[in-house]
Amino acid sequence: MTAASNHIPSESDLINGCIKGDAQMQRLLYDQFSAKMYGVCLRYAENTEDANDVMQEGFIKVYKSLSKFRAEGSFEGWIRRIFINTSIEHFRKKVKLYNVTEIQENTIEDSELDVLDSLATKDILNIINKLSPGYKQVFNMHVVEGYSHKEIADLLGITEGTSKSQLARAKGVLKKMIEAEKGNKNRD
Amino acid sequence: MQNFKNKLYNYETPPPDEIWNNISEGMKGEKVINISHYRKSKFIFYAAAAAISLVIIFLGSLVFKNEKTSSSSENIAAREKNISPQKMKDSMFLNQKILESIIHNPKEKKEIVSNDLNQINIHTKYLTIEGPNGRPVKISPKVATLIVYADKEFPPRPVWSDKICKWQQIMLSSTIPPTSAGLADLVQNASNNDKLQ
Repeated sequence: MTAASNHIPSESDLINGCIKGDAQMQRLLYDQFSAKMYGVCLRYAENTEDANDVMQEGFIKVYKSLSKFRAEGSFEGWIRRIFINTSIEHFRKKVKLYNVTEIQENTIEDSELDVLDSLATKDILNIINKLSPGYKQVFNMHVVEGYSHKEIADLLGITEGTSKSQLARAKGVLKKMIEAEKGNKNRD
Repeated sequence: MQNFKNKLYNYETPPPDEIWNNISEGMKGEKVINISHYRKSKFIFYAAAAAISLVIIFLGSLVFKNEKTSSSSENIAAREKNISPQKMKDSMFLNQKILESIIHNPKEKKEIVSNDLNQINIHTKYLTIEGPNGRPVKISPKVATLIVYADKEFPPRPVWSDKICKWQQIMLSSTIPPTSAGLADLVQNASNNDKLQ
C-alpha cells in the first residue's frame, strides 16, 4: 500500500503526526524511508530473514522514539542510526565477538578495493554478505558508515585494536574474494 | 569516498509488504509516549503524590485521634447499653439503699436529709446532707457519676459505698464548721483538720 495523498506533509508534521499515533503519518514515514533502511538492514544482517526482523524492530523503535528527536542532525541520519544500532543489537544476540590479540595485520590499502567500484551494487552486496558477521559489521560501520574505531569499539563492546584487526581481516578476505571473482571472469 | 562505498551507503530496495503489516500490527494498541512531556510531568506527578500522601496522613491522624478519644466514652456507653433495664433498676435501687443507710445511720444519730431521692431523674437534683455542725451540704449527683466513671466500674456499688463511707467518717469526726457548702471543700477541711490533730 502506498499512502496516496496529494499533500506531502512537512518533516515536522510527519514527526508530530507519528507521535500522536496517526496511522496515516506512520505509513507515510514508512514509505519515505523503508527502502533506504531495508538496504541498511540487508547490509548488516546475515540473511533476509534477519533483515526483515531488524526492519520491523527498527521501525517500531523509530515510532516510539520520535519524541526524542531533537532535529540536531538530519532526520534520515537519526533513523539510520537507529537501524544500525538495532542491527548491532540483533547481531550481538546471535554472535559473540571476542576480543582478539592485537597482531600486526597486513595493511590492505583501500585502493585495492577500488575494483568494487566497477561492480553493480547488488554484486558488491553479494560479496560483502559473504564476509563473516563480525567482519561485515566492522567493515560496514567503518568503511561505509564512517564510524571511527573508537565508536565501533564502544558500540560492539570490543577494543579499538580488535576493531582494527577485524577490519584488516575483512579487507583481506574481500581482496581474496575479488581476486577469485576476477579469476572466474577471466576463465569465462 | 570510493564509489562502492556510496553505492552501498545509498543502496535502496523495497522491503516485502508483510513487514509493514507486522509493524502496523505491532503498533496497534501501542500509545506512543511523549517522553519529554512525560519527564516534565514526572515532577508534577511526584509532587502531587507527596501532597496527597500528606493529606491522607493528616486526615488519618485526625480520624485516629477522634476514634481514640471517643472510644473510651463509647465503651462506657456500650457497656451501659448492654446492661439490662432490670440490672440498671437494681443498681439504682442499691444506690438508693446506700444513701438511705447514710441518711438514717442509727449509730451516729445524724439526720441526713434527702431531696427527692425517689425521683428517677436524679441527675438533675442535689442531695443535701447535714454537715458536722448541722449545716446543710449539697452533693451533686455528678460527683457520684464522676467517681463511677473515673473508676470505670458499673454498677458502682463497691466504689460508691466505699467512698461515701469514707467521706461520712471524715465529716462526722470533724468539729470545724465548713466554710463552703461544697462537698470537696468540706472533705478537704476535715482532712486538713485530721492532719493537724
